Amino acid sequence: MNSKMSKLLAVLLALMLVVAFVPACGGAEEPEEPTDEPAVEEPAEPVLKAAMVTDVGGLGDKSFNDLAYEGLKKAEAELNVEIKVLESKEITDYESNIDQLATAGYSPIFAVGFLMTDAIIKMAPEYSDVQFGGVDQFYEEPPANAVGLLFKEHEGSYLAGVVAGLATLDTFDDKLNGDNVIGFVGGMDVPLIKKFEAGFIAGAKSVNPDVKVISLYAGNFTDQAKGKELGLSLIEQKADVIYAAAGAVGLGTIQACQEKGALFIGVDADQYLTVPGSGDVMLTSMMKRVDVAVFDTIKSAVDGTFEGGTLKTYGLAEGGVDLAPFHDFEDAVPQAIKDAVEKARADIIGGTIEVPES
Amino acid sequence: MLGDIITPDLFASAFRMATPLALAAIGGTICERSGVVNIALEGIMLTGAFFGTAAVLATGNPWIGVLAAMAAGVAIASVHAFASINLRSDQVVSGTAINLLALGVTGFLMEFWYGHPGTTDPIAVLRPIFSFTSPGGGFFAEIWRWFNGIVLSHTPIVYITIIIAVLAQWALYRTRWGLRLRALGEHPRAVDTVGVNVYRGRWIAVLMSGALAGLAGANLTIEQVGSFTENMTNGRGFIALAANIFGRWTPAGSYLASLLFGFADALQIKLQVFRDVITVPPQFFLMLPYVLTVIVLAGVIGRAIAPAAVGQPYKKG
Repeated sequence: MNSKMSKLLAVLLALMLVVAFVPACGGAEEPEEPTDEPAVEEPAEPVLKAAMVTDVGGLGDKSFNDLAYEGLKKAEAELNVEIKVLESKEITDYESNIDQLATAGYSPIFAVGFLMTDAIIKMAPEYSDVQFGGVDQFYEEPPANAVGLLFKEHEGSYLAGVVAGLATLDTFDDKLNGDNVIGFVGGMDVPLIKKFEAGFIAGAKSVNPDVKVISLYAGNFTDQAKGKELGLSLIEQKADVIYAAAGAVGLGTIQACQEKGALFIGVDADQYLTVPGSGDVMLTSMMKRVDVAVFDTIKSAVDGTFEGGTLKTYGLAEGGVDLAPFHDFEDAVPQAIKDAVEKARADIIGGTIEVPES
Repeated sequence: MLGDIITPDLFASAFRMATPLALAAIGGTICERSGVVNIALEGIMLTGAFFGTAAVLATGNPWIGVLAAMAAGVAIASVHAFASINLRSDQVVSGTAINLLALGVTGFLMEFWYGHPGTTDPIAVLRPIFSFTSPGGGFFAEIWRWFNGIVLSHTPIVYITIIIAVLAQWALYRTRWGLRLRALGEHPRAVDTVGVNVYRGRWIAVLMSGALAGLAGANLTIEQVGSFTENMTNGRGFIALAANIFGRWTPAGSYLASLLFGFADALQIKLQVFRDVITVPPQFFLMLPYVLTVIVLAGVIGRAIAPAAVGQPYKKG
């Protein structure tokens, strides 16, 4: 064929290539996720389609993102909602993931993590008929179609601090040493994680004023090896109870506790259940019921009571945060500690104690 | 307080954190000395870590995991070797592509084989070789405590790394093989004229770097953490590149530079403990490896000169 034809063919082929790529780009790899679950009974069309975008930690962090996903799955099972998850591998994926979901007709869309706050503020007005839920996202002026789902992590952490502060003085387990030191491992040094730290310290000092609390930060939420080094460092400093608010980093700290002998307090999910083999060090966990928040928001969307433009805060009173059961330590933990936790819980809900946020 | 910061554990921690960096950096040294740029150390390390963990989960034997990690490292490095040497493509592009490939493949296989993303189940790990107690007090007991803590408390691969560093330094500068390797990176045309096969020499170098970076991944997962998490290498491969450059493209230099960076990381953690007394932002230590490398490259403190022909594909004839 002559050169004009071949040029035309080349342009056509190039266009076909571009068109083929458009659905594939935007957002990182999608996990093989339960849209291939055989629909047990899906009688009618799903009531609506809900989706979530994870933070860079991704699913499988055994805490934060996994819990949000639990809420989504519960909605799928109980409310007949079609769900989808997109994982962000890089910070640059946030907006393209939200974009992809919004264009595909998902609403409400949950952006799971405070790092996505700006992405939601920017994109919510662009998709004004889509509902957004921002987990851990504080908006100065919430967009009309977005609801910020906040938690009183400091309240739950206060209870964790009460447990740690009393446990370190006690000897109900041989991993507890005679020194009055406890530890905190934080992910990133940001106001959100500071809430965990502040509540923890306040709770510990309320029952054990002389306790020494050492706080170490990893600088990210993914470096497990770093988490183990931080744990080893804390244990070397004689900490015998360590509370980690650091996503996957905490998984490394659990390792350190198992290797060198210390007790661990998990975060977000009941990590006794989510981290296999950790039962020998998992004293309790500070649960952040992201699943409850996600489920409730989807339910409100289904019922037509979605409150866009607001911030919803889930604390001890609303059951949004709480301590997990002691599991393997249930019999070992003295009644005095359990009573102290009850008292603190009642005081916070009643308003007698105000827990600091920083 | 100084006594709380300068402890045996600080230096032991430095060795622990330096080991994966050093292995990857020495691999980088060998590879770049032969003339092939290897940006893919991060991806190879991650691949090695994943397949090492997978092998231990399948067989229950950590040493099989180590071998599997090295084999996986060699396998993925061969992709880089083929692209860079045989196809003469841009080596930086090829390396970057492998980094992305490794991230994707490990994540995908984790989902595919284990049914969930994130972190695998815990695996059998390699324990420290010796475990002596540090009894009593007194002067000699204190010396013993320090010696035990810093020298005797490590897992096997940490010691293997030191041996590899010494061996590689000797091999590179005291054997004929080492001379030829360095010549490949400085003036491949001359080596070709003498009759040595340039392609084969470079292939071997790249595959060796693959094995070493794979071993680094094995250290990370089988010795340090005990499970695999997506993207767990977290940029260590790039710090290894910096260590290689800072070490002036020698194995001993790479090891010492890695030790320096590992020490800085360990120190940063210790200093955080005393955050109320000494305030040094942890980010300062995170940027330290890169700042040092830029300084060395700029020639402010000594000068690091790359092998002359590094990064240039060689065409025979």
